[in-house]
Amino acid sequence: MLDDKEIKGLLLRTAARDEGSAQAFERLYRMCAPLLLGVARRIVIRQELAEEVLQDSFTRIWAAAERFDPVADRPVAWMVAIARNRAIDMRASHDVARVQMYANDAFADSEGALEQFFDWSQGSEVVEDQRRVGAWLRECLSRLQGVERQSLVLAYVQGLSHSELAAHLSKPLGTVKSWLRRGMANLRECVETCMGANR
Amino acid sequence: MRLANHRLLDALCGEYLLGTLRGAARRRFEVCLRAEPLVAQRLRHWEATIMPRYSERIEVPPPRHVWRRLERDLELSKYRLAWHQRVGTWKALAAIASAALIVVVLVAVESLPGSAPSLVEIAQLSDKEGGTHVSAQLSRDGRILALKANRPVLAGPNQSYELWLIPSAGAAPVSVAVLGSLDASLPLTPERSAQLRPGVTLAISTEPAGGSPTGQPTGAVILVGRVRT
Repeated sequence: MLDDKEIKGLLLRTAARDEGSAQAFERLYRMCAPLLLGVARRIVIRQELAEEVLQDSFTRIWAAAERFDPVADRPVAWMVAIARNRAIDMRASHDVARVQMYANDAFADSEGALEQFFDWSQGSEVVEDQRRVGAWLRECLSRLQGVERQSLVLAYVQGLSHSELAAHLSKPLGTVKSWLRRGMANLRECVETCMGANR
Repeated sequence: MRLANHRLLDALCGEYLLGTLRGAARRRFEVCLRAEPLVAQRLRHWEATIMPRYSERIEVPPPRHVWRRLERDLELSKYRLAWHQRVGTWKALAAIASAALIVVVLVAVESLPGSAPSLVEIAQLSDKEGGTHVSAQLSRDGRILALKANRPVLAGPNQSYELWLIPSAGAAPVSVAVLGSLDASLPLTPERSAQLRPGVTLAISTEPAGGSPTGQPTGAVILVGRVRT
């Protein structure tokens, strides 16, 4: 379980560019590289491309550490976003779709994928607030329509574009776009309602 | 473009986190993200609300060379305390003494006839999840088979790994070696070396300490790969 507080400290130390920066960055790498590589692998599928994504991502993290927002409390999410964006670009430029091996099996049901790829255990969130939000999020995901949930999971975990999703689900582009938009909006509203109701 | 009060701000935050905001649209969003604190604040809210944590199950240990390249390309040595600043003087002296010993040992090993042969990768063995890879490399003279894992993997106290060669589909596996670690350097007999032709399969199973009691794999096959060249 990655500790956001420790990761944030390491990022700030990396940004300082002093004699302790390389050591902090190395620890950051040891702690987070397996997750980032795993995330990249789900998107680009091929190991060698995923390794390239990992290297590019940490190069970017090294350079962008000083721009990391010190009030942000999800530094791991920030790093994952860097890796995901790089992986998505890599996927687009390497025509990965044709060599996709396990994609279809893993996503036969999006419920299974949600359980497989995400950590919903209550102990995983250090901060009480985050723990509660996690539980609401899980509940709200299950309240979404099946197609909305499936599209969100496919887009997020596998980095599928609108048109790849449309092809994958054999639906018109506009339909898929509106599922995604509605799914995201419904999800956020649902979690926000839970937040409001429990304040 | 001022995005902070734009009616599409929420939709864009959502698409950005989801990964469906692409190309120029994503770059424009990132410019706003840096320039407009309200946009960054809104994105943080989205992130805290709808982003689940990935499970540790998806983690894949990276191979060592990625870090080595990063260290070289980013010139990280400039941002490190020199080793002699990190240890006390006497420790430094001890370190120098052991380094000298290591040099002697390395020189001794290097000078053995036939050591450090040049190796050619003949197969990649991988597990189902793709988390562990072992490169099987054969020396040019065919006398040594080296196994190199992408991460250190040691057998447990009551366990060994065993390397098998499967000459053809359906044929009985032939034991090549019992291993304590997935990194190994194995001497081969000329007969065994001749069996490593393209198309044969190499597999590694977990076995009781000391290897399979039956001469055939008894535990789970954890890594498999086909010899290519």
